[in-house]
Amino acid sequence: MDYKEFKETIIDYLSGNLTDSKQQEFEQFLEENPKFQEEFEATKLFWNGTEEEIPEPTSAMDVKFYTMLSAQEKIIEKGSIFKRIEQLLLGSFPKQLVYTLAILTVGFFVGNYLNSGNPSDETLTIAKQETEKVRSQLVLTLLDQPSANKRLQAVNEVNKLNEVTETIIKALFSTLNNDANVNVRLSAVEALKNYTDIPLVREGLVASIIHQKSPMIQMELADLMVVLQEKKAVKSFKKLIKEKDVNTNAKQKMEESIQSII
Amino acid sequence: MLRVKAGETQKLGLLYERYKKRLFGFFYKMNKDVGLSEDLVQNVFIKILKYKHTYTEDSKFIVWLFQIARNASYDSFKKSKKYIHRDIDMVGYSISGGDDVQGAIIERENTITLKKAIALLPPEKKELIVLSKFKELKYREVGEIIGCTEGNARLKVHRALNELKDIFLTLEKA
Repeated sequence: MDYKEFKETIIDYLSGNLTDSKQQEFEQFLEENPKFQEEFEATKLFWNGTEEEIPEPTSAMDVKFYTMLSAQEKIIEKGSIFKRIEQLLLGSFPKQLVYTLAILTVGFFVGNYLNSGNPSDETLTIAKQETEKVRSQLVLTLLDQPSANKRLQAVNEVNKLNEVTETIIKALFSTLNNDANVNVRLSAVEALKNYTDIPLVREGLVASIIHQKSPMIQMELADLMVVLQEKKAVKSFKKLIKEKDVNTNAKQKMEESIQSII
Repeated sequence: MLRVKAGETQKLGLLYERYKKRLFGFFYKMNKDVGLSEDLVQNVFIKILKYKHTYTEDSKFIVWLFQIARNASYDSFKKSKKYIHRDIDMVGYSISGGDDVQGAIIERENTITLKKAIALLPPEKKELIVLSKFKELKYREVGEIIGCTEGNARLKVHRALNELKDIFLTLEKA
């Protein structure tokens, strides 16, 4: 190191900008050349002279800072509420899936609750009752039709009814006893079979035995009475057997039935 | 600072405790006004919060901090340019006042003259000397703060100190 370099690096030395090796070199040069010591001290004086006494910052500065900091935190918290909601809604895919399912479930239960109310039950019952009424009307209207086909359809409609009214039963018996077509009368018996638990139906059936001219109906009723074990029918069958123009097969069948009932 | 950036605002308190004295010292050396310096320290931390998203790991925190501090100091200087000039004169008077009381000790006189010289040094040069006296700040960091190369920063520091010497000598002669 020479003088020129020494002079140029004084400030670098003082400001700590020299590498370790350069710093050593500088110190060594200063030691070896005491005549430059004075110049170094002068520059050092200037450098350190800028080191003035700095008063301590007052505590008011700290108070101000921490007030500002807590105020900022509050602002950030307020802002983050919206961000949180946003994150909640636009979160990761599994999150979205969970929310979708949750909303669906809630929707399902809410819908269920709203629909399961009594009013709708009532509406359904009323609708059912109305259908039954219309069907009964249909049965009665169809039974009055001149076409045997229509009357058959009427009897079939009876099978679709959940509850039969007295009017329907009376209409069925009227068909059984007075209809011109055997098939219609037969299907009337078939229809009445379903309501044998009603006393009126049983009585009507027993009473109609005597009016039957067709052997098919006679045989059908004979079978039915066996199933019902209706003892009241025995009398009617015995009376029918005694009549002249009764089919032999029917007669035989009725006799067998009498035996079975007794 | 990265944690502050990530949203942990309360961690700013740690940074404040670590750097408040150095920042205050920097401002005080620049404007000789305790109240103003305290306000500027406050401003710097408000700006840190406001611009925290611009901070990157690439540069040292202290460099970034003093870049903000320098801007804050510059803004306040621009706002009250006249006031600062009066302030410099006032410092001169107050020091010469102290001089009378302490008596005629040559060394003391030198120190006082030096203080006057420092007060007369243009702010941008004073700023360079103040910054380069921080142990953490080498020429490279000083350069980053004021926006020039490392070599340029060294040159500027040298020139600033030489100018201080010149002012001192002029004052001494007068």
